[in-house]
Amino acid sequence: MASLISCPHCGTRPKEEFTVKGDASISRPTADAGEEDWYDYVYLRGNPKGLHKEYWHHSSGCRRWLIVERDTVTHKVHGVSDAALAKLGGGA
Amino acid sequence: MPDLPIYRPALAGKAALGGETIRLEALPEGHLLHVMGAATTEEIKAHLLGTGLKASSVRPAGYRQWFVAGNDRLSAMHLRALTEALAGRAFISDQSHGRIRIRVSGLNAAQVLNKGTAVDLHPSAFPEGSTAMTLFGHISMQLTRTGADDFELTVLRSFAESLHEELEALAVAHGAEHLAS
Repeated sequence: MASLISCPHCGTRPKEEFTVKGDASISRPTADAGEEDWYDYVYLRGNPKGLHKEYWHHSSGCRRWLIVERDTVTHKVHGVSDAALAKLGGGA
Repeated sequence: MPDLPIYRPALAGKAALGGETIRLEALPEGHLLHVMGAATTEEIKAHLLGTGLKASSVRPAGYRQWFVAGNDRLSAMHLRALTEALAGRAFISDQSHGRIRIRVSGLNAAQVLNKGTAVDLHPSAFPEGSTAMTLFGHISMQLTRTGADDFELTVLRSFAESLHEELEALAVAHGAEHLAS
């Protein structure tokens, strides 16, 4: 796993400061979606080889939720962005 | 600390440690304000000067968060003035009772701190005035460089004693001795 994460607020920090919070690419089904969709959303996760987007929480730093795009094969981190700001459209 | 009947400093009874290259001491429990909002560091600094809090320093504590720290107890009047100055821009939560500051200084200060934190403390990467929210061992803290060989650690009150003991052991390993208080 990547050992250094560049937090957009704090700079480069070791992974021990972060908590991995799972796949960032899945989206919540609508309230009236079928049982199968909800089962997928709650229980099923891919185990991708290659690029993977994940939520990381900077729990021992700025306490912001980040989206880390990393390669599960090479361990290279391709990009880190603030999850909430990305959802609001980038800027602070 | 109006809700606590007895004022008892968290690190009371801890004598300062000093050696040729390292010094460790608990700082007075003056004031520590948690500021949250869409303000800027410069803006908060200007408001501190404007409300007569010249001895307080502002330290970024994450996205849109700051700690305002100083050695003196803050009067209700000053706190109200600052709250009003920041109204509409940021909120203040008085954490004077909740966080403790510890000072580590001396030629070996950075070396001692790097035993516990992964932040790059080289002056080119972490110059005077820099601040980082990070870990010391497993304890969350805010690390600030207040001088070339001068650091302040801000830690949650209940972790203060534990962090101080760890730092004591490190300081002793660098030749420090307990100073008579």
